[in-house]
Amino acid sequence: MNHRVLASTLAAAVLLAAPLFAQAPAASTKTAPAAAVKTPAAAATAIPRTADGHPDFSGVFSNASAVPVARPANCGTKEVYTPEDLAAGMGGARGCGAAAAGGGRGGAGRGGAGRGAAGRGAANIDPETGQPALQVHYDVSQFGLDATHATRAASLRTSIITGPEGKLPPLTPEAQKRQADLRAYNAQHQWDGPESRPLGERCIMWPAEGPPMMPEGYNSDLQISQGPGYVAVTQEMIHDTRIIPTDGRPHLPANVQQWFGDPRGHWEGDTLVVETTNFTNRTTLQQAPTTDKMKVTERFTRVDANTVKYQFTVDDPGTWTKPWSGELNMTKIDSPLYEYACHEGNYGMANNLSGQRAVEKKAAEQK
Amino acid sequence: MRKTLAVLVASVGLLLSAAPMWAHHAFASEFDEKKPLKLHGVVTKWELVNPHSWIHLDVKNPDGTVTAWTIEGGSPNALFRLGFTKNSLPEGTELIIEGYQAKDGANRGVGAKLTYMDGKSLFLKPAGEDK
Repeated sequence: MNHRVLASTLAAAVLLAAPLFAQAPAASTKTAPAAAVKTPAAAATAIPRTADGHPDFSGVFSNASAVPVARPANCGTKEVYTPEDLAAGMGGARGCGAAAAGGGRGGAGRGGAGRGAAGRGAANIDPETGQPALQVHYDVSQFGLDATHATRAASLRTSIITGPEGKLPPLTPEAQKRQADLRAYNAQHQWDGPESRPLGERCIMWPAEGPPMMPEGYNSDLQISQGPGYVAVTQEMIHDTRIIPTDGRPHLPANVQQWFGDPRGHWEGDTLVVETTNFTNRTTLQQAPTTDKMKVTERFTRVDANTVKYQFTVDDPGTWTKPWSGELNMTKIDSPLYEYACHEGNYGMANNLSGQRAVEKKAAEQK
Repeated sequence: MRKTLAVLVASVGLLLSAAPMWAHHAFASEFDEKKPLKLHGVVTKWELVNPHSWIHLDVKNPDGTVTAWTIEGGSPNALFRLGFTKNSLPEGTELIIEGYQAKDGANRGVGAKLTYMDGKSLFLKPAGEDK
């Protein structure tokens, strides 16, 4: 951890959230489940606590992870690596096949080691030099955005998704149809105008923001702020703060729907449990168009001074044939959260549409 | 145990790039792979903005005239965390930029490879450490 940081820019959204904490009902702790509050002095674990005895989650964390969302097929039902597995080269997208590739037991298993890397290397060779041509993209490593530049919590998990299957359950027939319809629409209309571009490109929400909050690909950082009756989570990508009341108030009426849903928190022992409902039917999760009946349950547990264990369950009977759950660790970082200010610098929207209009004009001229 | 695990994870880090890497927008629709660029220019401005940073530079043409180009790069947030600031790429810095030009023909491109005049890469830093 040798991050040098610029001067002191905290996310504006967190500052916006502060007055809400000030308005928290003074008696809010009384509405918390009585059995949930442990006596801080008696706590054996060295986790920070707030004045009311709850674990203090305040801080800036990275949820970047080397663990894939779905388990590599060659791991079967294996949920957790041993340190020896990692030493033998297993892990990440390679899954459990690396040890066999290193010589020994034979049977690389389905998927095999290094499949992804081989596929990538074969693409786009410059015919003049015989070398791989430059990608039509900036080099992520030149901007510190390679996955290995991020601070990542160590994990022995083979996949973020838990359970013996380690992957998303099948989509329901109606969800398959919604997905097919969406893809068909996009094939025809994705370049019509700004409104037909993905929510991420429009700076509305980033696909991994959730909930459940998944690694963002880069800038996988989030800040948790905590006050009486509230917990707030600001994700660096893309600019949003989820303000989570923990004072026992009911959910919003069902007809009030929000991009990130309507979260309500409560304490179960030292675990903060957040149930989120009131989603729209306009977002996708893991490429599946979800419904406004989705319910996401998240569990935050501060396992030590630097680590938050984050567990979640997604239940959307209109989208998946059964609920699915996942788990990852967040690790504290020595850095502020930086403002993302996506709209302000989003030249890409105009540039992309301009590029597409040029393509269409050229195609029309060639007819 | 914890330290051992960190070392093990870090040692296979390059193979573990499983986290999805999304660009904020589709680069292949903005830039033309049939219009490769190689520019030698002088930095006039570095816009450290999200979702993508932009390097502005003046490029001298063979006839002596100067053309202003803008080159798209990555989100600057991680650069801040690695210790880079706006002063890390001051005005007047000479760069070689290889990439591709915008499909609409503007003097705008994506910088796939950014190098100083001595051939060194801009901003490249060793991989971080898992903890």
